[in-house]
Amino acid sequence: MNLFNVIYAGSNQALSAAEGLLKQAIEEKGRDHKVVFPETAYSLPIIYAATGLKMTTLADLEGAIGVVKSLIVEEPRLEQALNAGLATAVSAEIIEAIKYALNETPYDAPCAGHITDATIRSLGVPLVTGDIPGVAVVLGKCPDSETAAKVIKDYQSKGLLTFLVGDIIDQAIEANVKMGLELRVIPLGYDVTSVIHVVSVAIRASLIFGGVEPGKLAEHMEYTKNRVPAFVNAFGPLSELVVSAGAGAIALGFPVITDQVVPEVPTLLLTQKDYDKIPATSLEARNIKIKVTEIPIPVGFAAAFEGERVRKDD
Amino acid sequence: MSETKMVSLDEMDEQLIQKAEAEGVETMWDRKKAMKAPCGFGEKGVCCRICAMGPCRVSPVEGKGAQRGICGATADTIVARNLARMIAAGTSAHSDHARDIAHVMHMASRDGNYTIKDERKLLSLAEEWEVNTEGRDIYDVAHEVAEIALNEFGKPFGTLKFLERAPEPRKKIWRELDIEPRAIDREIATIMHSTHMGCTSDAESLLKIGMRTALADGWGGSMIGTVFSDILFGTPVPRETEANLGVLEEKQVNIILHGHEPSLSEMIVMAAQDPQIIKLAEEVGAEGINLAGMCCTGNEVTMRHGVKIAGNFFQQELAVLTGVIEAVIVDVQCIFPSLTPITDCYHTKFITTSPKAKITGATHIEFNEEKALESAKSIVREAIENFKNRKKEKVFIPQTKNQATLGYSVEAIIKQLDRVVNSNIDPQGTVKPLADVIKAGVLRGAAGIVGCNNPKVKHDYSHIEIMKKLIANDVIVVTTGCAAQAAAKAGLTSKDAAKLAGKGLQAVCELVDIPPVLHMGSCVDISRILTLVGETAKHMGVDNCDLPVVGVAPEWMSEKAVAIANYVIASGIDVFLGVEPPVMGSAAVVDMLTNKLEEMTGAKFFIDTDPHKLSAMMLDRIEEKRAKLEARLGKEIEYGITRAEEEEEGVKELA
Ligand code: SF4
Ligand code: SF4
Repeated sequence: MNLFNVIYAGSNQALSAAEGLLKQAIEEKGRDHKVVFPETAYSLPIIYAATGLKMTTLADLEGAIGVVKSLIVEEPRLEQALNAGLATAVSAEIIEAIKYALNETPYDAPCAGHITDATIRSLGVPLVTGDIPGVAVVLGKCPDSETAAKVIKDYQSKGLLTFLVGDIIDQAIEANVKMGLELRVIPLGYDVTSVIHVVSVAIRASLIFGGVEPGKLAEHMEYTKNRVPAFVNAFGPLSELVVSAGAGAIALGFPVITDQVVPEVPTLLLTQKDYDKIPATSLEARNIKIKVTEIPIPVGFAAAFEGERVRKDD
Repeated sequence: MSETKMVSLDEMDEQLIQKAEAEGVETMWDRKKAMKAPCGFGEKGVCCRICAMGPCRVSPVEGKGAQRGICGATADTIVARNLARMIAAGTSAHSDHARDIAHVMHMASRDGNYTIKDERKLLSLAEEWEVNTEGRDIYDVAHEVAEIALNEFGKPFGTLKFLERAPEPRKKIWRELDIEPRAIDREIATIMHSTHMGCTSDAESLLKIGMRTALADGWGGSMIGTVFSDILFGTPVPRETEANLGVLEEKQVNIILHGHEPSLSEMIVMAAQDPQIIKLAEEVGAEGINLAGMCCTGNEVTMRHGVKIAGNFFQQELAVLTGVIEAVIVDVQCIFPSLTPITDCYHTKFITTSPKAKITGATHIEFNEEKALESAKSIVREAIENFKNRKKEKVFIPQTKNQATLGYSVEAIIKQLDRVVNSNIDPQGTVKPLADVIKAGVLRGAAGIVGCNNPKVKHDYSHIEIMKKLIANDVIVVTTGCAAQAAAKAGLTSKDAAKLAGKGLQAVCELVDIPPVLHMGSCVDISRILTLVGETAKHMGVDNCDLPVVGVAPEWMSEKAVAIANYVIASGIDVFLGVEPPVMGSAAVVDMLTNKLEEMTGAKFFIDTDPHKLSAMMLDRIEEKRAKLEARLGKEIEYGITRAEEEEEGVKELA
C-alpha cells in the first residue's frame, strides 16, 4: 500500500472527470457560456485564491485544467502528494462550477451546495470569538444512522459548525438530527465533490478576514492552517478520490480522522475505530479546546440551538 | 541565520593552516604531503606482516605477479585477515572504554564522586538482566548489574545479553550464521588467533568471524558504554549549545576536552564549576573557565551538559593554533601524538590522563578514579595556572560558530514523539509515530551518518553534502561522532535547518519540534541508533533489514569505524562508505562485501568516494527497500482504501 500512489490515482480520477465534464458542457453550451457561483465576489474561490484569476466562462475553465495538471507531479514526496490533493480540490471546484453552469439550482433542500459570501461573513465573528470553536466536515457513511447522529450531535452540542457530505446526510435525517445554518449543521451534497463548498468557505475566510491576496496560495494555506479550525471525519470505505481530497484538506492544515485502517500520519491522518471517541480524537488533533463546560442536561445544549424554534408537536 | 552561513564549510581551516605556515608549525596537512602517494599494496590490503617470513606483498591483480605469500596465503586471505584485525582493534577500543565505565559504576556510591543519576534506567536494566531489586539499596543493585556487565567481557559460556534486544528475525539470522558473539574479549582474542599465521585461510569465514566480533562491539561494548554512561551521568535530553572554534573565548581559560571516556570529562565539568576553581581563574586574570569539547568526549559532555563543541577530529591541531588554549586534556583514542610538538609551539599544556594512552612529551597527570573529583581539579588547576603564559601576539580566534540543539537519546526522541500522539488513540512512550511517518512515506527513510574525518576527503565536505541531500529528500538523519560535530558546525542540528529539508521532513520537524539532523551522541552511542532502528522494526513486526534505513560513514578513518560498519551490516543495515577500505586487492572479498553479504545479513556495503554519487545510491536503496516494505505491509494490513478497479464508486461519485 503506497499512500502517495493512492492520492495520485484519486487526483487523476478527479482530473479526468473534470476534463470529461468540461468537454461535455462546452459541447452543450459553447465555450463562452457563463460560469458563476451565486452570490460571491470571489468567482471560483479556490482557483481565485490559488491563481488570482477569475473564471467567467467555460473557456476559462480549460485554463484551470492546466492548473490541475501542473499540480499533479507523481513523485514519492509529501510536497507533491499535498499538491496533488490541492489538484483534486481544484478539479472538484471545476466540476461543481459546471454543475452551476448547467443548472441554475443544482442543489435542492436539504443540501446547501455553494455557500454565499453573506453566510460566510455572518460566520466570521463567532469563528473569531471562538463562539464557533471549530468546523467539522463529516463525509461518507457511518455503520448506522444512530452512530452518525451521535457524532453530529456531539459536535452540535459543543457549538461546532458541521458540514455533511454524502450518505451521512440521509443517516442524519433518518436519525432526526435537526439541521440548518442556525443549528450549525449544514448538509452540502451527496457527491464527494460537494465537499469543495466547505473548502471554499475556508479559502474565502482567508480572502475576506485574512486579507490574503489572491494568487498567494502558500499564504492562504498558512492562514487556513493557523486560523480556520477545521477537520475532516471520513467514514466508511475510502475511495482513492476521497483519500486524495483528504490530502487536499491536509494541505490546508485540516487533519483527517477516519474509521478505516489507513497508513496513519501523526496529527494529520488518523484512524479511530471507536465512534464514541471520534469527536475527542478530532478535537485533539485540531487542537480545539471547548471554552464552556458542557452542561449535563438531557438535550444537546449549546449555541447551535439558539436559533431553533420549538415546534408545537415537539 | 542565513542559509549560506548555515552550511558553508568554514574558511577557518584555511585561515589557521596559513597561520601555522606563517609560524612555522607543522600540521597534519604538511605530513600528509610528506607522505607522498600511499603504498598501493597497503592501500589495497594485500600486504601482510604478521609473521617474520614476511613482510609479503602479493599482487592485487589476479594472475599477475606474486599470487601468494610465502606461507601460501592468497590475496583473499590477506585482505580478509587485515580487515578482521581492524575490526578487532576497533572492537577492543570501544570495549575497553565500556569496561572502564562498568568499573566506574561498580565503584559508584551514594556519597562518592560517581553516583547513579538515572535510577529508572538502572532499574529497567536490572529487570532485563533479572537482578533482584526489591527492597534493595540502589547501589547494591548497581554493583551487581555492573558485575554482570563486567562478566560480559569474559564469561565462559553463553552469548551476550544485549543480543536479546534485537528483533526476533535478526536474532534468528545471527543464530543461523553462527555469529552470535559470546564474550567480548573472547571474540577479539579469537580474531587475533584466527588471523595468526597458518590459521584461518578462508575469506568468508574471516568475514563471519569479523562480524561476530563487530557485533560484540555494537551489541556489547558500545551498548554497555552508552547504557552505563546514561545510568551514571544521566540520559541526555534536548539542550542548546554552540559549535566550532568560534566558541573559544579570548578572555577566559580555554580547556579542550578531547578523547572519549566520560568518566574523566564528567569530573572535569564538575571541577570547572567548583567555586574555588572559578575563584582561582579570576585570580589569574581570566573572566572564567571555558570548557570546549572535541571528538567523542566532546559529544558526551555536550549531550549531557551542553558543553560547547570546539570541533571534530581534524580540528585538534587547529584549536591549538588559535593560541588561546590553556590545556588540551585527553584520555584515549583519536588523539594526535602531534599534539606534543604543536603544543610546544604555544603555551598550551598537553595533558594525558590515562595509563592506556601515554604520549611522549605530554604532561601526564594520571586520572585517579578513586579520587576522581580531586584528580580532575588538579588537572584543571594546571590549566588555569597556565593562563598567564599565553602569548598575546599568537592569538587568533576565528569568529565562526553555529547554534545547535542536541541531546537526542532514544528516550528523548520518544518523548518528542509523544507530542504528536493522539491521546484518544495511542499510548505514549512508543516509536509508533516514527514508524507511521515512515510507513506512510512522509519520511522516505532514515540515515545514520557517523564517522571521522579523513585527509582523503575535504574536511567535513562529504558529511555535509550527504546530509543536505538526504534531508532535502525527506530522509531524516541521525548522527554521532565527528559527523555529528560537522553537522553542528554547519548549523544542520539547529531547528532552523528544517527549512533545508523536504516538505515531509519539514512537517515532521515542526510537529515533533526537532531539527532535521539529530545528534545522538558519541561513537559508542551508535548503539542508540541500533536501539532506535530495532525498536521501530519490532513495532512494525519486521527485521532491521526490511526498513528503509541506511548507515553512512562518509569520512571514516579509524579501526573503530571498521568495527562499527561491520556490526551495522551484521545488524541488517546497509553501510555506505565514502573512503575506500583496504580491501580492493581481493575481488572475492569486494564481491562478498558489496554483494554476497546481502544474502547472509540482508545488508551490504556500497563504496564511492564521491559524496553526491553516494547519496544518490542511498536514496535509490531507500526507495528499493520501501517498495518491498510497502508491498509487504499492504499484504499484511488490510487498508480501508478501495481501489478504483475494485470499486467503480470512485468514478461514479464524480458524476
Ligand atoms: S603470514 Fe604468510 S603472507 Fe603473512 S607475512 Fe607470514 S608468510 Fe607472508
Ligand atoms: S568519529 Fe572517528 S575520529 Fe571522531 S572520535 Fe569517533 S573514531 Fe575518532
